[in-house]
Amino acid sequence: MLKIEDLHLSFGGIKALQGISFEAQAGEITGVIGPNGAGKTSLFNAISGFYQPDRGRVWFDGRDITGMAPDRRAALGIARTFQNIALFRGMTVLDNIKLGGHTRLKTGLWGALRYFGPAQREELEFRRDIEERVIDFLEIDHIRKVPITALPYGLQKRVELGRALAMRPQVLLLDEPVAGMNREETADMARFILDVQERFGTTILLVEHDMHMVMDICAHIVVLNFGQQIAEGSPQEVSQNPAVIEAYLGAAA
Amino acid sequence: MGQILQFGINGLMSGAIYALIAVGIVSVFKATKVVNFAHGYLIMFGAYFYFTFAVLLPGMSWAPAWYVSWEPAWLVEMKEGLPMFSPLGAVLDWLTNLPRVIIGLIGALAANAVVGLIIERVLMRPLMGQSVFAMIMVTVGLISVMSGGAQLIWTADANYVPSLAPNTPIRFTLFDTQIFLFGTDLVNAVIAVLLFGAIVAMVQFTKGGVAIRATAEDQSTAYSMGISVPRVFARAWVLASLTGAIAGAILATRNGVSPSLGLFGFSVLAIVLMGGLDSYVGVFIAALVVGVLEAMTQWKFGGDWAGIVPYVAVLLVILVRPHGLFGQKEVERI
Amino acid sequence: MINGNLKASYADDERVLDNSYKKAFVYGMMVVLAGFAAFANDYLILVACQMGIMLIAVVGLNVVIGYTGLMSLGHAAFIAVGAYGVTILHNLGAGTVPDAVMPFIAVPVAVAISALIGIVVGLPSLRVKGLYLAVATLAANFIVIFVIEQDLFAPWTGGMTGIETPAPNLAGWVLDDKREMFVLIAVFAFATILTVQNLFRTRVGRAFIAIRDRDYSAEILGISLLRFKLTSFAISAAFCGLAGALLAYFYASILPEQFELALSLQLVAALIVGGMGRTMGPVFGVIVIVMVPEVIKVVFGAVSGGDPSVAQLRAPLQEMAFGFLIIFFLMFEPLGIVHITDRILRALNRWPFARG
Ligand SMILES: Nc1ncnc2c1ncn2[C@@H]1O[C@H](COP(=O)(O)OP(=O)(O)OP(=O)(O)O)[C@@H](O)[C@H]1O
Ligand SMILES: [Mg+2]
Repeated sequence: MLKIEDLHLSFGGIKALQGISFEAQAGEITGVIGPNGAGKTSLFNAISGFYQPDRGRVWFDGRDITGMAPDRRAALGIARTFQNIALFRGMTVLDNIKLGGHTRLKTGLWGALRYFGPAQREELEFRRDIEERVIDFLEIDHIRKVPITALPYGLQKRVELGRALAMRPQVLLLDEPVAGMNREETADMARFILDVQERFGTTILLVEHDMHMVMDICAHIVVLNFGQQIAEGSPQEVSQNPAVIEAYLGAAA
Repeated sequence: MGQILQFGINGLMSGAIYALIAVGIVSVFKATKVVNFAHGYLIMFGAYFYFTFAVLLPGMSWAPAWYVSWEPAWLVEMKEGLPMFSPLGAVLDWLTNLPRVIIGLIGALAANAVVGLIIERVLMRPLMGQSVFAMIMVTVGLISVMSGGAQLIWTADANYVPSLAPNTPIRFTLFDTQIFLFGTDLVNAVIAVLLFGAIVAMVQFTKGGVAIRATAEDQSTAYSMGISVPRVFARAWVLASLTGAIAGAILATRNGVSPSLGLFGFSVLAIVLMGGLDSYVGVFIAALVVGVLEAMTQWKFGGDWAGIVPYVAVLLVILVRPHGLFGQKEVERI
Repeated sequence: MINGNLKASYADDERVLDNSYKKAFVYGMMVVLAGFAAFANDYLILVACQMGIMLIAVVGLNVVIGYTGLMSLGHAAFIAVGAYGVTILHNLGAGTVPDAVMPFIAVPVAVAISALIGIVVGLPSLRVKGLYLAVATLAANFIVIFVIEQDLFAPWTGGMTGIETPAPNLAGWVLDDKREMFVLIAVFAFATILTVQNLFRTRVGRAFIAIRDRDYSAEILGISLLRFKLTSFAISAAFCGLAGALLAYFYASILPEQFELALSLQLVAALIVGGMGRTMGPVFGVIVIVMVPEVIKVVFGAVSGGDPSVAQLRAPLQEMAFGFLIIFFLMFEPLGIVHITDRILRALNRWPFARG
């Protein structure tokens, strides 16, 4: 579904990515792990189009999207959440989630200025859809009209997931969805991620430091260290790989 | 060919004045991240202050005679019998005005520094650390306040103010063409370039300059390194006011004094963006280029058209190089 | 207590006038305006027309500054394009196009030209943020006025000395009276606010706000910065063009200097005073910005008693007033008058259960 081929990316002297290659299978959860500064977020930025790789390709559904602008990639069906939450803080939960529907809605400028008629029909139809598919699904109906700033951190992460879901993505990139959450919140989020995969068949790419969660829910794992891909395989294989153990112990020591 | 050289030199000379104006905008931006939209009006105030100390005050009934016109016996003697428009005559006329010029400059520098400090203290400091947008918009509000204020304080415009240097005509030949300049224009340009160089050197090499650059890099780090950021802000504004006072005095001698002097600020703002906002070198080059382009436009299409050269130029440059000719693109971390 | 705030359907929840206060306010305003048109004296009508024209422009400016977060200091240029566009079209069409049809052609064409120029001026917004755009629009303002003033175009624009403007003939109804013009202006002002309000109920308006609040997040949601920044510029320029067209119809003649930087700054001042990015912001802002010089004028009339040396202080004082308003609000109420009314309404809503 999503294929990364020999990706290189550097910022001045820092080599953030050096020859990353792997494939995220359709409908599966693929984990990307590695110590701090390994290049995980940079990889996501290259996939979603914010950074142009120096070398290598990104394939989506058999299509080369390497040079494509971020908004076109989103329109193709790539959604993501951010490590440090990039919600629109002044808006309500509902407005944030509605923004996720941008590429699916058709209303143009004329329709928007008139509103009554096709635009209104589309808006109400869309509202019904997100109420069911996103708001009920993620159990956030009680905070619909609450501004983001008034929400606790864990709920904000959930709303950001909701906004990505409103895009009906084929591929979903999640950058540390449970960072800073307590046990219970983490379990909730893990359940939502599995539900998304099960119910919508979404291909998911997951960056996470919480090893328990990664080992639990990922079918396939890619390990990065200092921009290099040091291992790839099933959770079992990866957790017994000496290079991985070395990287994590080295980082911890 | 001849004309090209003449207009080219004229252009370089006015470009130097633009550079002197620009240095105030760049310095404030470097230190505070605020683009001062009202800088032209600070310059207009400088011009009016120079006018006040060099023309209005000597015109008062109580002004001492030497202030009004300095005519020691030897000077009067030398003037005797000189033909009209002689080079020496121009120098002697200037000497007669010298007390007014000096007091005018000192007065303009002091008064403009006070204006700059007031702006910084009363309007900028309270917003510091909150919102750069608000600070910039405050300078936009200042445009109307200062423009209206000048008209309230100085109810009449003035055409004549004494020039900073003797207005001796200078003729010389360059590549077989006769070039004709006024001494005062040349001196003005030299003053502007020297001041520009001095300020760049100061920012590069002195302790105060290092503080400005550190603050420009990162305000909170500068704070934690023991740099008094508010003092850096104040210094930058005073620097802008002082260079503005000189530039104002020069513009006053060239174009007379009127509220429309404030408009120069906008042309120079365009130049500053063209150069890259935080690059002294880029801004200097852009100032000279625009000066020359203006002079050429004036030559080919007339004075009217010269006025929009900076605006057309900035639009073209921004479209091709969004961060100016020499500016750096800021990479956003996501 | 917020009355009538229980929703039975999503459609109810998506309404603009979502509580009984707002409904009462809007319908009440319509009645008041109708009464005003019928009974107000000529002076009040004159002031109200000025407000209406400016309101349309500021609502447009609000789209680009308040909602999309792109700074502009040159929107007077678009008002100029609208005003001169209508005037020139009327003069060109005189004789061939029947007078009664003319406005129906001239106004849309002038508005479209404004929108197009808006797109051109907005082009730098794609690559640069904030400041560069403010200067680019400022530059555009100077250039447009310059072009209008050129002798080369004077046969059409009248050059520096200005040009006489037509009175509109709407299918036989000649609006040569200020009171009639008020009706036209009020209808357009209402329609402007309504259409902009509509915009923000759909994906288009939401995209603008997303760009303002966090442009990389907007891109990740599939919002094309190129398309929507330019759309925003085009809409705002179009509304300013409409304001210009009405201005040309309203006054007997226009001068290039009416559309200089000072007007652009007034528009920005109105927006800051009223509150950026809010529906009622432009309304409150324009009332203040138009009233302040009027009040100064009245006070000066009373004080100076015809003494010209005092009277000549009036214009500079009016100019300073705009600047002081901008500065005062930025320093003490940066969210504008709407923020004050918000607080009052909230207090009313809570009453009698809690204070504050
Ligand atoms: N915009 C940028 N400019 C310069 N360097 C960058 C930029 N973005 C990332 N880097 C550098 O690239 C390297 C990889 O960073 P990245 O954010 O991808 O790591 P990460 O694996 O996501 O780490 P973490 O677990 O802390 O989120 C780091 O050394 C970082 O400093
Ligand atoms: Mg990361």
